[in-house]
Amino acid sequence: MDIDPSKILVRYNVQKEKAQTPEEMAAEMYPSAEPARTIAVAIFEGEEDDVVEALEKALASGADPVKLIDDTLMPGMDIVTKLYDQGVIFLPNVMMSADAMLEGIDLCKEKAGTSAKAKGKIVCHVAEGDVHDIGKTIVAALLRAAGYDVVDLGRDVPVDEVIAAVKKENPMMLTGTALMTTTMYAFKEINDRLLESGIKIPFQCGGGAVNQDFVVTYELGVYGEEAADAAKMADAILSGKGLAQLKEHFHKH
Amino acid sequence: MVKRYTSQEYKAADDMIFGKSIYPVKSELGLEVGAGYVTAEVNYAPRPEAGVSKEKLVSEYRRLTTDIMARAVQIGFPAVSLETEHVEQMTNNPSWGGEIAHVQKTILEEYHEEYGIKCGLRHTPGDIRENRDLLALIGPKYDTLMESFEAVAEGGADFLSIETMGGKEVLDYAILRNDIPGLVYSIGCLGSTDMTMIWQDIRKIADKKGRIAAGDTDCAQANTAMFIAGGLLDKNLAHTIAIIARVIAGARTLAGYEAGAQGPGKDCGYENTIVKSITGCPISQEGKTSTCAHADVMGNLVMQCCDLWSNESVEYHGEFGGTSVQCWSETLNYDAALLNVATETGNAKLLRDMLVLSDKYRDPQGYILAYDNAYKIGSAIVKDGNDLYLRSKNAALACVDILNAADSKKLVMSKFEKNALANAKAALDSMTDEADNFMSDSLEKYKAEVAVFRPDDNYKF
Repeated sequence: MDIDPSKILVRYNVQKEKAQTPEEMAAEMYPSAEPARTIAVAIFEGEEDDVVEALEKALASGADPVKLIDDTLMPGMDIVTKLYDQGVIFLPNVMMSADAMLEGIDLCKEKAGTSAKAKGKIVCHVAEGDVHDIGKTIVAALLRAAGYDVVDLGRDVPVDEVIAAVKKENPMMLTGTALMTTTMYAFKEINDRLLESGIKIPFQCGGGAVNQDFVVTYELGVYGEEAADAAKMADAILSGKGLAQLKEHFHKH
Repeated sequence: MVKRYTSQEYKAADDMIFGKSIYPVKSELGLEVGAGYVTAEVNYAPRPEAGVSKEKLVSEYRRLTTDIMARAVQIGFPAVSLETEHVEQMTNNPSWGGEIAHVQKTILEEYHEEYGIKCGLRHTPGDIRENRDLLALIGPKYDTLMESFEAVAEGGADFLSIETMGGKEVLDYAILRNDIPGLVYSIGCLGSTDMTMIWQDIRKIADKKGRIAAGDTDCAQANTAMFIAGGLLDKNLAHTIAIIARVIAGARTLAGYEAGAQGPGKDCGYENTIVKSITGCPISQEGKTSTCAHADVMGNLVMQCCDLWSNESVEYHGEFGGTSVQCWSETLNYDAALLNVATETGNAKLLRDMLVLSDKYRDPQGYILAYDNAYKIGSAIVKDGNDLYLRSKNAALACVDILNAADSKKLVMSKFEKNALANAKAALDSMTDEADNFMSDSLEKYKAEVAVFRPDDNYKF
C-alpha cells in the first residue's frame, strides 16, 4: 500500500525556500573593503583558522585591534545573524560562525590589552535543580553573536547566586531557562528577591516547561518563546523599551 | 561481558505490528505488554508547588493515580499502565520515590481487586548523575540512583526505566555544529558504554525484587536533536541531521536490552521501532496523543508497532473534562481501543499501514522510522552488532542511503535538508572503519574541545 501524499500534507519548508542559496545571499551582503570582506567570508563559513589568519595579517600591517572588532568581526557576524533571522541559515551555522568570531575577538582583545566595548551586559542561568542547559547555551551564544557581554552562570544555579551576580554585574537583562515544571518556580523567587533589592531589570524566561501563563505571574518576567528572542529583547531594551512594552511585543499568546 | 545482537528477532518488517511482540512481559496485576493488545500508558507531572515536601508530593501522586483509575473504570477500559517519571527529589531521596510507588501500587491493587482491571506501574528515576558542572556517571550519585531503583521496586513498580544521560556532554556540543562523527561518538559510543554498565545493575535489582527491567530511551540526545529541529519552518537543525541522530540512538537504546532490559521500552524513544525489530521486546510510544507535552511530525506513524501508547507527560491540573490525567488517559485509552478493534477484526496491518502513510512523507524523520525502513536500519545495526562504533556508523549510513533513494516526488526535501544530507554523507564516508582509531581520535578531539568532557571519570572503556 502506498499513497500520493500531496493531498494529505504540505511541506511548507520546501514551498517557502528561497530561490537563492544562503551563500549567494551572503555574498551580496559582504563588505567590499579588505580585510573586512575576507573576515566576513571566514565567519560566514565558520572557519576559525581563516579568521585568525586574516586578523593576524591585518594586525601585522598595523591595524588597530579594537577597530578590527568593530569594523570587521561584528559586521561579519551581523550578516550571519541577519540570514538566521530571515530563516535562510540554520542554528549550527550561527554557532560555528560565533565560534569563529569569538576566537577573533579573543585575539584582538589580547593584542589590544583592553576589553572591547559590548552593547550591554546580560546574566544567563539555568534554574536551580535543573541541569538541562542546551537552551541556555544557545541563548548565550546568540547573545554573544549579537555583541552582548554574557555572564554565564551555568546550570542548577542557586537563587542566592543569581541575586549576587545581578548585584555585582549590574546587567541590563537577566535570562533564566528551565526544562522542568518543578524547577521553574525558582524564577518567582528570583523575581521577588530582585524587587526586594529595588532591582527592576527585565527577566527573560523560557525553556521546555516554561510558558507565558507562568511567566506573567511575576512582575519582571518576560516570556521568550524562542532562543533567538533573547537578542531581540536585548536590542529592544537598548532602544528604550520598558517592561510593559517588552511584554506587549514578546508575549504572543 | 554482554552478548550483543548480531541478528534481528523479527525476520520480516511486515511481521511487526502494534500490540504484539515476540517476548511479552507481564506485570503483577495481570497486564501483559506485547501479548496481543495495546494498553494506554498514562504519564503525568506534579504541579510545581507540590515539590516542596515529601508529603505534598505523595499526596499529589495519590490524587492523580486515583483520578486515572476512576476514569478508566468509568469508561470501561480493560487495562491501564501508569508511568511515574521522577522529579529529582524523588530520586535523590530514594525513600520518597519508594513511598510514592507504594502508594500508587496500593491504589492500583484496590482497583484491580474491585474491578479486575489489569494494571501496570512503571517508575523512571531521574538520571541524577549530572552535577552542576559536569556529568558524574560513576560515583556516589550512581549509588543513590541504584538505591532509588531498589526503593521503587520494593514499593511495587512493575517496570523499571531510566532516561540515561551518557554521552550528552559531547552531544550538546556536536549537535549544534552539525558534527556527524560527534553524534556517532556521543550517542553510539559513549551512550552505549554507559548503558551497558547501568542496565546490568538495573537488571540485577529487578531480578532480586521480582520486577521487570523495562528499558531506556535516547531522550537526552536524539530527542534533543528532534526538538531543536522542531517543525517544518524552524531553522535550528536540519531534519535530516535529526534523523541521523535518531538512528544512531537505535544502536544506543539497543545496548540496554543487551545488558538486561526486557521491555516495554520507554515511550519517548522514537527509535523504538528499530529496536523492536532487533530485540522482539515490547515498546511504549508516544505521538499524536502526547501533544500535551510536545509537537512532533509523525504523530500517527509512531503508533505502528507500539505495545503501550503514552501521552509523554502532562502537568496535573484541572481541565473542563476533569483533571488533565483523566482527560489524557481517556484519549489514550480510546486510541488503544481502536488499535485493539483492528486486531480483533483482522485489520491490524491495514490500520498500521494507514497510520504509517499519514506521516511517512511528512518529513525525513517519519520516512526513516516507518517500520519498513526502520527494519532496514535494524539490519544495518546488527551487521556489525559486536562493534558499538561500527554499528552506529552503519545505522547512520543506512539512513542517508535510504533517504537518498527515496522517491523525490513523495518525500520532498528542501535544498537545505538535501545539502545537510550530502554533507553528512561526506562526513560518514570519510570516517574510519577501525573502532580503536575512531575512539582514540575522538577522545583527544573532544577532551580538547569540550571542557566538561571527563572520559576517565565517566566511562569504563
